[in-house]
Amino acid sequence: MSEQVSGNAQVEDLMRKDYAAGFHSAIESDTLPPGLDEDTVRFISAQKEEPEWMLAWRLKAYRAWREMAEPTWAHVHYPEIDFSSISYYSSPKSMKDRPKSLDEVDPELIATYEKLGIPLHEQEALAGVAVDAVFDSVSVVTTFREKLYEAGVIFCPISEAVHKHPELVKKYLGSVVPQKDNFYAALNSAVFSDGSFVYIPKGVRCPMELSTYFRINELNTGQFERTLIIAEEGSHVSYLEGCTAPMRDENQLHAAVVELVALDDATIKYSTVQNWYPGDKNGKGGIYNFVTKRGIAHKNARISWTQVETGSAVTWKYPSCILKGDNSVGEFYSVALTNNFQQADTGTKMIHLGKNTRSTIIAKGISAGRSNSAYRGLVRMNPGAEGARNFTQCDSLLIGDQCGAHTFPYIENRNASAVIEHEATTSKVSDDQMFLCQQRGLDAEKAVSMIVNGFCREVFKELPMEFAVEAGKLLEVSLEGSVG
Amino acid sequence: MSTSVTPAAEFHQHALALAAAQSAALAQQDNSPAWMTTLREQGAADFARTAWPGRKTEQWKYTSLQAFQDFVAADWGAAPEVGSEVVTDAPSGADTDTDAVGNTVLSLDATRLVFVDGVLDMLASDALPAGVTLFSQADADADKIIADHLGKIAGGVDASRRNLFAMLNNAWTCDGLLLHVPRGVTLERPLYIAHVSSAGAGQPAALATVANHRVLIVMEEGSGAQVIEHFVGSGAGQPAFVNALTEIQLGNNAQLHHTRLNMEDEALSHVGAVHLNLHRDSRFHGFTIAEGSRLKRIDYQMNHCGRGADLKLDGVYLARHRQLVDYHTTIEHRVPHCTSQEVFRGIIGDRAKAVFNGRIHIHKDAQKTLAELNNRNLLTSNAAEVDTKPELEIYADDVRCAHGATISQLDETALYYLQSRGISPSQARVMLSFGFINELLQGLPHEAIRTALGTHLAALFAADRALVSDVGYSDQQAIDSESV
Amino acid sequence: MLQINKLNAQVEDKQILHDLSLNIKAGEVHAIMGPNGSGKSTLGNVLTGRDGYDVLSGDITFNGKNLLEMGIEERAREGMFLAFQYPVEIPGVSNMEFLKAAVDARRKHQGLEELSSFDFMKLARDTSKQVSLDPSFLKRGVNEGFSGGEKKRNEIMQMMLLEPSLCILDETDSGLDIDALQVVASGVNAMRSSDRSFIVVTHYQRLLDFIVPDYVHVLAGGKIVKSGDKELAKELEAKGYGWLESEVA
Ligand SMILES: Nc1ncnc2c1ncn2[C@@H]1O[C@H](COP(=O)(O)OP(=O)(O)O)[C@@H](O)[C@H]1O
Ligand SMILES: [Mg+2]
Repeated sequence: MSEQVSGNAQVEDLMRKDYAAGFHSAIESDTLPPGLDEDTVRFISAQKEEPEWMLAWRLKAYRAWREMAEPTWAHVHYPEIDFSSISYYSSPKSMKDRPKSLDEVDPELIATYEKLGIPLHEQEALAGVAVDAVFDSVSVVTTFREKLYEAGVIFCPISEAVHKHPELVKKYLGSVVPQKDNFYAALNSAVFSDGSFVYIPKGVRCPMELSTYFRINELNTGQFERTLIIAEEGSHVSYLEGCTAPMRDENQLHAAVVELVALDDATIKYSTVQNWYPGDKNGKGGIYNFVTKRGIAHKNARISWTQVETGSAVTWKYPSCILKGDNSVGEFYSVALTNNFQQADTGTKMIHLGKNTRSTIIAKGISAGRSNSAYRGLVRMNPGAEGARNFTQCDSLLIGDQCGAHTFPYIENRNASAVIEHEATTSKVSDDQMFLCQQRGLDAEKAVSMIVNGFCREVFKELPMEFAVEAGKLLEVSLEGSVG
Repeated sequence: MSTSVTPAAEFHQHALALAAAQSAALAQQDNSPAWMTTLREQGAADFARTAWPGRKTEQWKYTSLQAFQDFVAADWGAAPEVGSEVVTDAPSGADTDTDAVGNTVLSLDATRLVFVDGVLDMLASDALPAGVTLFSQADADADKIIADHLGKIAGGVDASRRNLFAMLNNAWTCDGLLLHVPRGVTLERPLYIAHVSSAGAGQPAALATVANHRVLIVMEEGSGAQVIEHFVGSGAGQPAFVNALTEIQLGNNAQLHHTRLNMEDEALSHVGAVHLNLHRDSRFHGFTIAEGSRLKRIDYQMNHCGRGADLKLDGVYLARHRQLVDYHTTIEHRVPHCTSQEVFRGIIGDRAKAVFNGRIHIHKDAQKTLAELNNRNLLTSNAAEVDTKPELEIYADDVRCAHGATISQLDETALYYLQSRGISPSQARVMLSFGFINELLQGLPHEAIRTALGTHLAALFAADRALVSDVGYSDQQAIDSESV
Repeated sequence: MLQINKLNAQVEDKQILHDLSLNIKAGEVHAIMGPNGSGKSTLGNVLTGRDGYDVLSGDITFNGKNLLEMGIEERAREGMFLAFQYPVEIPGVSNMEFLKAAVDARRKHQGLEELSSFDFMKLARDTSKQVSLDPSFLKRGVNEGFSGGEKKRNEIMQMMLLEPSLCILDETDSGLDIDALQVVASGVNAMRSSDRSFIVVTHYQRLLDFIVPDYVHVLAGGKIVKSGDKELAKELEAKGYGWLESEVA
């Protein structure tokens, strides 16, 4: 119990200080000079003292990546990324070296986070949540390990898992998202430095929520974390992920890969509140968030993705489910809010292979300012997906006449007994609703945020309690200034 | 021909050779108007420049053009020479079997014009009514109308989305039909245009027919008309390739009912497009059906160019055997206060495949738009496939847009209801499957067509189980399985 | 409480209200009757400051302040309340959350403490019972899927919670059965007090049997063509509006 408390306090401390100090004043770190070649990959692998098989795996990915082209089909526009100007590895030298002063931090940013109540959230959330904090590319601290260990749950940095659980890593790494899956996944496979590893043994219900907090800190570094969650037969886990980054004028790249394996009768619930720095009001700076997330569900298993996306300058992200086993279930609940010059192209893929597989997609897009938000989704019923069902509801809300909201659903059916229902609507916050709220005394900004929150309710109710509150506040802050 | 040439390149070569041969023949006649030369040359240049669509070409993602390539390989061996014979210097009606034509074309209370392989068959046709003229016989006024509009309406598509076969149609245009309805005039009788493919009837055996159809409809302010375009084969069973392009200009307050019936023989490949500009307060009510023929790709490109315009398009597709039917529709809302409503339903059986892509694009200034699209499909075999993609791309906020797509089975409750009234299960399935599309047929304004089509299709449903769904589906079941 | 002086107002370039004057003192109940399209709802919308309703000339004083200078929510916080003829649905926004935000805004404006969630919940439950709405309606989205009668009762519940000084009821009685009508009327009557006034827009004398007005005005063609006491309402019921219109013309 005492370890929990101190572990808890430690992360809390860390998070707070990161916010306080991590923004402008640099933490002394070992940062690799920009550029990417085989030696970079070897260097990263050597830093981690990785076994030979891991290096070979990375090099295979790197060689594939060199032959691949950046995808251009998404509804997003950004200047070409110079992959040779990015540093692919950065590790804080010592956590104790960090400056303690608040003075150098941009007050606007502090104000933003205070409004968000993030420190508050951390206190509350951390009370019953095990956290792995990934700072730039390195996992710095993982809490509650003892308690989890008693239950047989492994929750550790993936770099550690490579050493301690090589048989699991070998078996599952790349089994859901292969190295050559796509451009960014290949890049990640070559240079990923850390991330979380979770293993829930057969029949175990993970005793607490697991959570990873990601933070990009260094200038010009890319962040390439890799998460692997394995839920053995009949097990159950709920995993939360949060992320933040400092405000910088340059765009920074974040290309993560998340793989979920839900074996027979297992359940994995994966929730994300993504709040990477979105760039300023004029579209300068912000994170390029190019993420591959995919889970495979075996017999009777369930994978549920919930995401609230308010950050990043450009988002390219399609958390997906391969419903391989009969009766498996896939869910995707998403809120994507864009403001100012943000662009999001996000959605999901539900690939139905097994009999009586079921999927539900609820996607809510909100566009404000000069932003563009697109839902892109694929529902595929293979010939073997006897009796499979999908229900999809995509709603878009426009705030202001300078933004765009788009829906690109791909529906592919090859089974005569499958049932697919897809609906999409686009509208604005109605004048009548606004009038009612204002007639009852609410100001315009409060009225909009209330209506928008109502619009997202179906998704928020899928989030764990603390996150739902944070998500609501996040929307409010992200919408600021969008009501003229 | 060298074996290293890809089938695609081969198609390109044949197509361009045919265009060149036609041009040479036209040059000898020495009376073809300047607009035609420009149109043909531009078309050939565009076509030559444009890459053959493959799977990566978004507009052709689900439709392989292998059938065209096969067509070239098998049937178009001597195409460049054939081209010169196809050129239309004299109507070749005398060569065709008018009995056969009489059997395939509908007898309606309408002005009837029959084109065989793109050439007007005088014997089978009524006299050309006022306002209707062949391009080749246009007087100065008509020539000016053609020059002003032909190619311009279809040419208004975004460069990145231009259709390869529309370019080819330009390159191959030797003649065509103009319907010009002057200001304030409403055509008393519907205009019925039958495009018959003789499929080799007048050609040396084993040589494929290439037919290019071009129709231009120009409706002046406040005019009204009903036009039925009917594509049929005369049953000879020889391979043929039909490229049909219709351009429609609706002036302010003009009204047009346009029906496009695609009912060709199995051996035919059909690429067709309807391009439409709607000006202020004009109304378009379209109906289209695709049944028969191994490959059909039909594009509707509809542009709202003036405020208050209203558009309604209903479509039905039935795919059996190894047929492929592909509808791509686009509605461009460029101006405010317009409405559009589109409903497509399809039944797909055997080893057939259907593709539906319905795009609604609301431009920045198109406030107060109301747009709706609905696509429903019934799949009757596990070897069949349907790929549907309703798309919304929206840049204006004060709009109401919705789309829906479903793939489902017959309603169990309705099946039960019919059976409780003494109808056999198998009969009930036929009735409900037919009923699924009959709802749209009933919306056809022209009663004779409604009857003729209804009779034809009812017989088809009774005779071929490929169009009858065997699977029932009840909402109750879905709810039960949800709650498990 | 409210003085309207020679009000001219338009909707979408069409003038609807013509030189309308009306003086309402604290504690009074004024009924406004008149044929469809005469401008009754327009008056309510102009008073509450709805977008698209433009005042061409005239002035309006509310509690001694210039009403026309205030925004929609300012007027509401000052105590003006409109029970809508057609209450709008706001999906996903729970009634409870909505009401708390509204009551908090009003209380803050009055310099009062916000109610604790617990107190507010209790208050809201009690109030919902007074208008015969099951408390479960508090959890549902604002008017989402409510029947016509439930929407109207929800409006009255909001009025009771917000304790406004001027209540405008726009055809709150239409479409209600007799039981619901009594619920609405007793809600209104319970709120009548010397510092609160009402404008009751209705077509029917029926409601005025339950809510007895001090004055009755007839609005026709955007003007008040006749004013009187509750007897005028009875006269209208018997004769219809026709005689008035011809009298005016
Ligand atoms: N938003 C609006 N746009 C256009 N006309 C309106 C609008 N609101 C009201 N009107 C017109 O103003 C007139 C008065 O309407 P209203 O005030 O609703 O009448 P009442 O409530 O007395 O039936 C009617 O002619 C109505 O058509
Ligand atoms: Mg009214």
